[in-house]
Amino acid sequence: MSILTVEHISKNFGALQAVDNVSFEINQGDIVGFLGKNGAGKTTLMRMITAFLAPSSGRIFIDGDDITKHSLTIRKKIGYLPENPPLYTNMTVLQYVKFAAEIKGVTAKKQAVQLAKVLEDCQLEQVKHKTISTLSKGYKQRVGIAQAIIHEPKLLILDEPTSGLDPMQVQQVLALINNQKEQRTVLLSTHTLPEIEKIAQRILMIKSGQLIIDQSLKTLLKGTDQQANIDSDNLVKGNINTADENSAKDENSQAQALTLEQIFFNHHQESAPLSSKKTIQTPIQTPNQNVSNY
Amino acid sequence: MNKIIALTKKELHSYFSSPVAYIILIACLLLFNVLFFMLIEQNREVSLRDIFQVMEFMFIFIIPLLTMKLFAEEKANGTMEFLLTAPLTPSMIVLGKYFSMLIFYSLLISITGIYYFIVEYYGNPDPYSILSGYVGIWLEGALFIAIGLLTSSWTRNQIIAAMTSYLILFSLYFSISFTKYFTGFAENFLIQLSTRSHLENFAMGIITASDVVYYLAGIVLCLVLTGLSINHRLWQ
Repeated sequence: MSILTVEHISKNFGALQAVDNVSFEINQGDIVGFLGKNGAGKTTLMRMITAFLAPSSGRIFIDGDDITKHSLTIRKKIGYLPENPPLYTNMTVLQYVKFAAEIKGVTAKKQAVQLAKVLEDCQLEQVKHKTISTLSKGYKQRVGIAQAIIHEPKLLILDEPTSGLDPMQVQQVLALINNQKEQRTVLLSTHTLPEIEKIAQRILMIKSGQLIIDQSLKTLLKGTDQQANIDSDNLVKGNINTADENSAKDENSQAQALTLEQIFFNHHQESAPLSSKKTIQTPIQTPNQNVSNY
Repeated sequence: MNKIIALTKKELHSYFSSPVAYIILIACLLLFNVLFFMLIEQNREVSLRDIFQVMEFMFIFIIPLLTMKLFAEEKANGTMEFLLTAPLTPSMIVLGKYFSMLIFYSLLISITGIYYFIVEYYGNPDPYSILSGYVGIWLEGALFIAIGLLTSSWTRNQIIAAMTSYLILFSLYFSISFTKYFTGFAENFLIQLSTRSHLENFAMGIITASDVVYYLAGIVLCLVLTGLSINHRLWQ
């Protein structure tokens, strides 16, 4: 069943066409990765889905409701974390998440249970009485996610949730997002492709405001394996030396990571020509990390 | 209503978690106290009429300092996106912020209520004219806050928000000074526009419907415009 339907959405800012005739559907329970370079239109599209911006044309339905007609109802069904976590840094974690619960209409009866659950899920119990301004970036990101899920939304929208985090914090935030898939649909954008591979089942890629790829991750990687005219084997061999089972998993994982990167760069050649592919830095991957670890 | 209360509490927490609120509160009271004793010494009257007029002038400077951050800070910190994507209507956001500032302002002027007991110690003041004066100064502050809220919704820069408020408040306060250049309708319009002419009645113990309507209409107009300003930005 479709939780989000985007129909021919466009958005202009004066002469600038930020989003151009984008259509897609997302089914309940999916984790969908949203890719595109800076300025591609990801944030604008996410802002339209969250009813923060009005589309210039087209329609968006969330759980069957049109956002232009039922904006308030729809906002109850959405949890949104903007690129910069919107935090009141003079509040403690508990005060902030409680405030989020109150303005998002969590009833007084449910609040205590919901607060305890979210603080536990986001591993914030130890810091719940700390002022947000004193927390690390990783904790702040988790507080941002806590406010987004406090009202149990059906659709969780995360705009670059791992941006600026260290590798350990990235793994923690990804694990947290991955744990959401049983309870809600997740749409997240990121620049770090191996991250999205680990948790997303489907990829949407946007370029200059247009949707250029909408495929399941499996299909996308299979379909482009043969087409990719890049010597990924050599690149992979250069990174992996052992032959044990765990290393083989790593090899597979890194090969996929490179392939997805290649897909990305193939579609954004003007900014990263393929001739420069050998200089692409593979983001850090720790051994034996796959989705089941989260 | 619960959401408005939550927003109001959040704003009050924000004021009182920083030293700014306490500094403004203490500085205002010190200033009012000095001026109060100076006026009592000079006039030798058991009346608060002059102190109300001094308070009016001081609030023109003080209230924009309190209101400038209401929306401008949310925009600058990115928390406006959090509020506008939450299931809140623009009117809930506006009222939540407005009530919080009104509570802070009410606290400030209620502390000056001690002036009544001081003048009563020395003579027999007219309690009704003092009460009427307090109603007037409260309504005037409520109008100034609504104006400050509106200008704060226009920008993410707190200084610009404060300067715009000063421009509007000075125009309203001093419009009566320009009546000598006009006659007829324009003169009457400037008199009616000025906050000074309306507060004067309250300070003398006269509460008229037109004065009350002036303040209430101004407050409602500013709050509606603030709501529209937020809504416009939401659906730009």
